[in-house]
Amino acid sequence: MSVDQRLGEAGRMPADTRGTSRLSGETVTIGVIFALTVAMILGSRVISPAFGGWNQAETILYLASFLVFCSFGQGLVILVRGLDLSIASVITLGGVLTTTWLAGDNGDLVFILPAILVVCTLVGVASGIGVSLLKVPPFIMTMATGIIVYSLCLGVTRGTPRGYPAPVLNDVMRAELAGLPVPILVLAAFVAGGFLLQSYSTYGRRLYAVGNNPAAAHVVGLPTVRVTIGAYAISALCAGFTGIMLASYANGATLRMGDDYLLPSIAAVVVGGSSILGGKGNFLGTVGGAILLTTLATILSALGIEQGWKTIVEGGVILFALMVLREQVYEALRTWMGSERR
Amino acid sequence: MSLANPPLPARWRPIRLLTNGALLITGVYLILVVIYAATEASALSAYSIESLLNNSLPLMLAAAGQTFVILQGGFDLSVAGVISLANVIVAVVPVEGPWGALANFAMVVGIGLAVGAVNGLAVAYLRIQSIAATLATMMICKGISLLILQAPGGYVSEFMAYELTGSLFGQVSVAALIALAVALVWVVFRRTNTGLALFAVGRDANAAALSGINVRRTRFIAFCWAGVFYGAAGYMLAAQTSTGNPAAGDPFLLLCFAAVALGGTSFSGGAGGVIASLMGAATLMLMQKVLFSTGVSSFYTGVFQGTVMIVAVLLMTLVHMASRQRRAQR
Amino acid sequence: MGSVAALAVAGLSKRYGATVALRSLTMRIVPHEVHAVLGENGAGKSTLVKILSGAVQPNSGTIELAGQPYAPRTLLGARRAGISTAFQELSLLPNLSVAENLLLPRVSGTRFWPEAAGSITRRAEAVLKEWAVTDIDPVARVEALSLAERQRLEIVRALSHRPRLLILDEPTAALPDATWLFRQVRRLTETGVAVLYISHRLSEVRELCQRATVLRNGESIDTVDLAGVKDDQIFAMMVGRAPERAYPAPVAAAAGAETLIEARGLTTGRLRDVSLSLKSGEILGVAALEGQGQLELFRALGGVGTHEAGEVRYNGRPVALTSPRRALRAGDGIAYVPEERKTEGIFGGLTAAANMSLPQVPRIARGGLIHHRLDVAATRTAAEAVSLADRYFGFRVSDLSGGNQQKVVLARALMTRARCLVMFDPTRGVDVGTKQAIYTMMRGFVADGRAILVYSSELSELVHLCHRCLVIYGGRIVADVGRDRLTEEYLLAAAHGHGGAAPLRAAS
Repeated sequence: MSVDQRLGEAGRMPADTRGTSRLSGETVTIGVIFALTVAMILGSRVISPAFGGWNQAETILYLASFLVFCSFGQGLVILVRGLDLSIASVITLGGVLTTTWLAGDNGDLVFILPAILVVCTLVGVASGIGVSLLKVPPFIMTMATGIIVYSLCLGVTRGTPRGYPAPVLNDVMRAELAGLPVPILVLAAFVAGGFLLQSYSTYGRRLYAVGNNPAAAHVVGLPTVRVTIGAYAISALCAGFTGIMLASYANGATLRMGDDYLLPSIAAVVVGGSSILGGKGNFLGTVGGAILLTTLATILSALGIEQGWKTIVEGGVILFALMVLREQVYEALRTWMGSERR
Repeated sequence: MSLANPPLPARWRPIRLLTNGALLITGVYLILVVIYAATEASALSAYSIESLLNNSLPLMLAAAGQTFVILQGGFDLSVAGVISLANVIVAVVPVEGPWGALANFAMVVGIGLAVGAVNGLAVAYLRIQSIAATLATMMICKGISLLILQAPGGYVSEFMAYELTGSLFGQVSVAALIALAVALVWVVFRRTNTGLALFAVGRDANAAALSGINVRRTRFIAFCWAGVFYGAAGYMLAAQTSTGNPAAGDPFLLLCFAAVALGGTSFSGGAGGVIASLMGAATLMLMQKVLFSTGVSSFYTGVFQGTVMIVAVLLMTLVHMASRQRRAQR
Repeated sequence: MGSVAALAVAGLSKRYGATVALRSLTMRIVPHEVHAVLGENGAGKSTLVKILSGAVQPNSGTIELAGQPYAPRTLLGARRAGISTAFQELSLLPNLSVAENLLLPRVSGTRFWPEAAGSITRRAEAVLKEWAVTDIDPVARVEALSLAERQRLEIVRALSHRPRLLILDEPTAALPDATWLFRQVRRLTETGVAVLYISHRLSEVRELCQRATVLRNGESIDTVDLAGVKDDQIFAMMVGRAPERAYPAPVAAAAGAETLIEARGLTTGRLRDVSLSLKSGEILGVAALEGQGQLELFRALGGVGTHEAGEVRYNGRPVALTSPRRALRAGDGIAYVPEERKTEGIFGGLTAAANMSLPQVPRIARGGLIHHRLDVAATRTAAEAVSLADRYFGFRVSDLSGGNQQKVVLARALMTRARCLVMFDPTRGVDVGTKQAIYTMMRGFVADGRAILVYSSELSELVHLCHRCLVIYGGRIVADVGRDRLTEEYLLAAAHGHGGAAPLRAAS
């Protein structure tokens, strides 16, 4: 028997610390975020009896779905110690391509939609190559690809995107299946798939490893370059998908349609308990963060208060959320008490 | 018998100077100046130079502030909010005359300092991730700006609008003097104990703490400096545009990070400097002029901007790698 | 013994959450004394250092410094009270100069305007000179220094604060020659300063220290006069039972074994034209003083570093070791065990199981999704080989002790299923128990036709473990020592590049 085992049995190791403290910390964060969101929706009944019901929840989920889509990609990029600032432009790209290539026609939908997603993914691949092979800081690389993509959208559309998405897309966004709006079902499927990919797939496992310690990942022989490029590619794919959904929902595209999603996507990831330094996070937390932010915005809009106050309250709530329901508080408490050595 | 390496030869220090981001970016800047002068006849006229400097100064100040935060290892998104807020306040409460300008300046710098202090508290003492905490303060500042001024408007005192964007004795651009002053402040600051602590904390907060550095205080001070510079940036922006705009700060958000990166300051903290960021910001602004003067369709300027940003960073990485290889072969 | 103790600690305890790091520690150090603290990893040594340096506060117990109650809340508080520490994990800032590091946190001594660079350099130079360090340029950046130079700098910094109590935590971990350190320590104790000395190397402790306090499980077991106890007795106190023999009997290398790796003319960095061959069933050791090119050799073979010239053959076929990934796929595989556990070894945020199974990720998945039971099952065999207990599998690796972290790294190397392991100082900074586990693993590994190339900073380890040992000096292999001639003295002399044995250090 090794000395370590013996030491453990001698009682240095209390039995109740089994399992991962990380997971429990994450679970707490996610739980609190969702609880807060539900409380907020229910609490909004105070403002108007029309609020706080299932209908409102449905609306919020509907609106939150766009943010969830692009936040998933953002979360993966943040997981590998990056940041994707090209999200806004790629959403616009997806939207603009949806309206210009489809031009209001259902005809070639099955070919054009994948083509749009491929184009968007390529933008992410370019960013990923710049970051992982050329070692350009992610902040700069994705900002640059974002600027380039936006500029191309601007040039191609001469400043005003024209055309409409395929009517069938718009119909889908309004359709219901089994009493639920189709976009919410899409959201549910997306969340399930995203969660499995990030937390349980082989790719996800490698993503965490690369994000947690890139040098060690290299030594272990992981294909760090491919893993990193993959994260940026998925992020761009998700942004493109968001663009398609947004264009279908709004039945048109604008050049600024992605702008409202860049900072919120980062906020959703961070409020959801991921570390901006990479290697740590859970997609369910991000989903919670996205829904929380959307709920807040929806309720504030419904109140009809001034834009200025709305922004202040949103900022305040983010700050509050960060301060109070952070895993960091939990972590800080642990570090403050000192790190456990086992 | 000594097993240690011999002391480093003195000649490696010039190499270190060469890999200094400030020098590299100044080189890039000069190349752009040459292109600009070659493509635009009036490029070197006094008016043209003055207006270029005036255009560049707000971004230079913002980038200077951002550098403090990035050096200690973080991001500060509140830059956009503080610039908007400062800009709006100067336009809503204009005070005439040189003393009025000073009073306005004190107001916005005070506000910047206050926001910086809040950021510093949140990040250094409450240990919130900087990008998230400053996102929140940015939103709050933007909200307050919107409450003060719903749409672009207000006016800026004449003294600010004319004197601060003109030339001293008709010779030296005030903007250039301000930039120079910032550079001088930095040169002194980085050699102070707080300045060294900034580099130490950015590189390895744990080792810094074990070296007796007050890590929290250092981070806090970095955010305060940043806030002060953002306030000044908003102030100079107001002087330059002669008006207030609650969304004035928005374009600065990404641009000031681009400027810092162009200056070669490491985004992981602990390496870089304010002078490099000043030059990075100046280069970004000059680049826009050059793209215009070389006749690139305004729709596509972004393509060039983005490409130049990537190429510039790659170039600097290459020079760094080359120098490191030389050092390794020593 | 002296009437007033330099340091008197009584009943000190420290809990981190549910874990007890220090249960009850009582010890006394008198002025002029170099007092060793001995114990395995996790016995509470580093917690003691942290408490005395003001980095953490104890839950209970009293500390008296020269008769005065002492309860520092910050590092500077401890320094003011007269305690300074050379930390094991070197607290230097690589991006600052030697001078700046020495003088932190008050580099600039002037009040309103930063002190002139020249004046700072001169002050730093004086400090270095005072402690007999003349070969470190105060203007150089610390990142340009070797590990040994950094270690000396860390020590000089602690010395320079003129402490009443100096704490040295594993000060020789990266020092190839402890003579300088011992001389400075003796100089200091002559003036009445007390020194608390922590080291894994017993021979060193015996040379320098008069008394030792042994810790086990966070408790002080006893304070002994080192002259009066044998090594075995100390080990027994540390582990709480009679120790097994430190090294199992060496096993003879299989005769007529096949050559697995053959390197010819490897040249890179300090490494010059090195050729070697690694046979199946063999543990091939490498001995060298620090910085003789051994790191370059190991990194080149592991695919982590590059080589400028030379070629490597695996089973007779040339292989290109351009990345660790390539190395793992070359021939029957080469797995590299890095020297820097923290930066290149562990994934601190992942669980121990996830760390170990990483090379096997495709095999533990079904339909692209990782199967928890497969994960644990796959990991168990490797973990058993390094005797890592199952119950650690779910822990975050950063929460494990250094020894267990190293076991995780080694288990992962086994999981790669590579036939050759290239291990750089695998036992650095780990406790006796873990060392045992590592030796057992290594022997088991080569027993069925696999092979290990290992560098160790402890010569005794190489002598007992290896079938053959290469000695590198000045980037070249200067000796190839067979089992029969393998002695510490021989290796030591060769490592210094000459035949005459130089008294460097008898490794523990």
